[in-house]
Amino acid sequence: MLLAVPLALAACAERPSPSAAAVRRNTMVIVTTGDADVLLPPVTSVTTGINVSDLIFCRLAELKLGLNTVDDSGYRPVLARSWDHPDSLTIVFHLDPRARWQDGAPVTAADVAYTFRVYTDTAVNSPLAPFLGQIASVTARDSLTAVFRFRRWYPDQLYDATYQMRILPRHLLDTIPDARLATSAFARAPVGGGDGPYRFVSWEPGAQITLAADTSWFLGRPGIARLIWRVTPELTTAVSQLLAGEADAMELIPSRAQLERAQASTRVRLVPYPSPFYAAVVFNLRRPLFQSRDLRRALAMAVDRTVVVRSVFGPWADVAVGATSPMQWIWSDSLRQLPYDPAAAGRALDALGWRRAAPGGTRRKNGTPLAFTLLVPTSSPPRQQAAVIMQAELRRIGVAMRIEPLEFTVMDGRSQAGDFDAVFVSRTIDPSPSSLLQFWSAGAASNVGGYDDPAFQALTAAAARARTRAAAAPLWRQALERLNTDAAAIFLFSPRNEAAIAGRFRDVTIRPDSWIATLPSWRVAPPGGSPGALATGGARAAAGR
Amino acid sequence: MLRFLARRLLFAAVSVAAVVLFTFLLVHLAPGEPMLGSAEGARVAPAVLARQRALFGLDRPLPEQLARYAANLLHGRLGQSFVLHRPVADVIGAALGPTLLLGGVALLVSLLVGVAVGAAQAARPRSATDTLLGVGTLVLYSVPVFWLGLMLLLVFGQALHWLPVAGMTDPAIHDALSPLGRVVDVARHLVLPAASLALVQAAAFARFQRSTLLESLGGEFIRAARAKGLPERWVLLRHALRGALAPTLTLAGLSVPYFLAGSVLVESIFGWPGLGRVTYDAIFARDYNVIVGTALVAGVLVALGNLLADLAVAAADPRVRLDR
Repeated sequence: MLLAVPLALAACAERPSPSAAAVRRNTMVIVTTGDADVLLPPVTSVTTGINVSDLIFCRLAELKLGLNTVDDSGYRPVLARSWDHPDSLTIVFHLDPRARWQDGAPVTAADVAYTFRVYTDTAVNSPLAPFLGQIASVTARDSLTAVFRFRRWYPDQLYDATYQMRILPRHLLDTIPDARLATSAFARAPVGGGDGPYRFVSWEPGAQITLAADTSWFLGRPGIARLIWRVTPELTTAVSQLLAGEADAMELIPSRAQLERAQASTRVRLVPYPSPFYAAVVFNLRRPLFQSRDLRRALAMAVDRTVVVRSVFGPWADVAVGATSPMQWIWSDSLRQLPYDPAAAGRALDALGWRRAAPGGTRRKNGTPLAFTLLVPTSSPPRQQAAVIMQAELRRIGVAMRIEPLEFTVMDGRSQAGDFDAVFVSRTIDPSPSSLLQFWSAGAASNVGGYDDPAFQALTAAAARARTRAAAAPLWRQALERLNTDAAAIFLFSPRNEAAIAGRFRDVTIRPDSWIATLPSWRVAPPGGSPGALATGGARAAAGR
Repeated sequence: MLRFLARRLLFAAVSVAAVVLFTFLLVHLAPGEPMLGSAEGARVAPAVLARQRALFGLDRPLPEQLARYAANLLHGRLGQSFVLHRPVADVIGAALGPTLLLGGVALLVSLLVGVAVGAAQAARPRSATDTLLGVGTLVLYSVPVFWLGLMLLLVFGQALHWLPVAGMTDPAIHDALSPLGRVVDVARHLVLPAASLALVQAAAFARFQRSTLLESLGGEFIRAARAKGLPERWVLLRHALRGALAPTLTLAGLSVPYFLAGSVLVESIFGWPGLGRVTYDAIFARDYNVIVGTALVAGVLVALGNLLADLAVAAADPRVRLDR
């Protein structure tokens, strides 16, 4: 009897009517491992919240696939039809008069000025506010002209003015005190308050978020009628949903085993795109042991990074060339890096006085063993596996590395407090190379290792002042090489991102920093149509590297 | 009866208060920054972090934070989620229904299956049926819930396509279904997570029920019933099982914590939007108010489970007097 109930329910599998089948076909179910926090761009900080709100709210301009952050040619107009630079400290945006809020009100320059005020108001406490520090003011010259004034000239002015802010509807929000915006009803259900290609429909906490295409969007009707983010925390289950046809897309699959499952499927295709991540073992340069540049270099040379990457990821990651990823335009596989040379590493340690009493033992200097502890987050199996391989490689040259697995928040707390020898971090970088400064410039909050090198500082300062990409690229690359040579960290791997997309979607292109940035131009193949255009999408994404 | 209820409710209130106090202290004393969330690489400026901490009073001494929390709790306020920017009561309220549905169905199914299997075994002790069911329940009892869940998901969801892999409803067409269609849709999604939770506990109930039933079958009153010439099935179900059910019902009441703890795993595996998932996410994000709030609700549910079990035992066995 009890067995009959589930069997009967299994037999009740819905046989969708033609209209239901069409609804399903024109809907993309995106499986995500975490729910959104809020859907208000200045305050949302989790991936799902950012992805959903990105499709509801527009920027003034968007980066093109090449992610050229320096030149105006790297951007395409969105809310702003055009822009000009009357002087080195001013950008004037001319809004597209066709742009409308989803309740019918026009998008105006007053909305742009209001948005800047909200993002920079300390009461809102936006995590993006620090990135707007070089913008002195935003004013409305007239209803369609917004004027940005900067404190100083720098090449990324247009990037900061467009990339960090999504324009908000002043007429719906200015009655809400800024401090209450994050907890307002609008932040959870921005009905009618978007200006983007999709409208908010519903949010069932912990379950799903639904958006519908705005068929009257001024830049053209999106190709997919409905988007549903389905929350599935367990990765195996998430991939099973894709393989069972219950979900259609996933931003990336961060596991070799799950990637191989998806690769073997005929239901989904993997679409590669350059990753905005790199992982590195950062040394704490405040600790006496790691103040020796030669010792750090020896440790870096003792690790065969190719073996680590292939063992952990197989073909699904690249050896990191430095503190960058293939997503950034400064990336180059010809960057100078320390070679894998354990013999040279051993000689260098000998020269520093770290000697082995017996073969196979730990090196000692004045009775002190050459030993340190590496903090590894328990949330990252790849980093734990990589740490074990590193441990074995370092042991071969007489270095004892203890692995201390910690929950992420605990590890992060200790690394921020400088309470570590070495820490295995993953860094998500921006399209702009200036993100290098956030993690490695002296005094930066995220420079957890305390790297402070005048030559590096000078190179990055010069690169940040360069007027063209051609002038800046060599300087950024020299700075990256300086970091490699100094061995402030061992740059280990940069995973290859693979989005999983159901076969019926075509014209799929992916911008590496935001996989859904080009989603409004994706299309649904007609029933029985070939999914072949997906391959083109993957190639296009690769071309954006 | 009333005295019994009052005594049990007082005891439950003290227990829940202790759970809340212990959880509050534990989460606040545990290392980890609550305002960073669980996303690595989030670049939160120190000034932003400091303002956020001040906003939630986390910059105050722990005794002051505890006093404020207790005062708010007495006024029925559970605070605000750091991560979700919503009142904790709303977060828990949205998740409680799915958890009660999943846990309730799983408890009921495990009890029915467990009692039935235990009775079948006790009816023919040391028979082939008894041995087979005994081995089966032992195997099920040894299986970790998360493993069983994944196996059910891979076989019945992904490979056979008999049942949905995850979630509580079909995301694409649920809203377009008829009311009955929606009920069936939820029921289909419920089968695998409920089975994952229920099967392991059913094995425990079956083993327990078998031994209590065998003990009951050796009693004087059973010999008297048989001497009266009652059919064996009647003796088993009407006399032996009634008396032997009381300890199993008590065990069912005591198993509420198992269902709550199991729901953390099962809800994560099957993407079931319940309290277990909320708790799991809150722990990793150090969302203090949500963690303490869910502990409070779990404490109340456990206390209620025990109370209901006592009442059920009294109903099943007239010899039990609640006033004693």
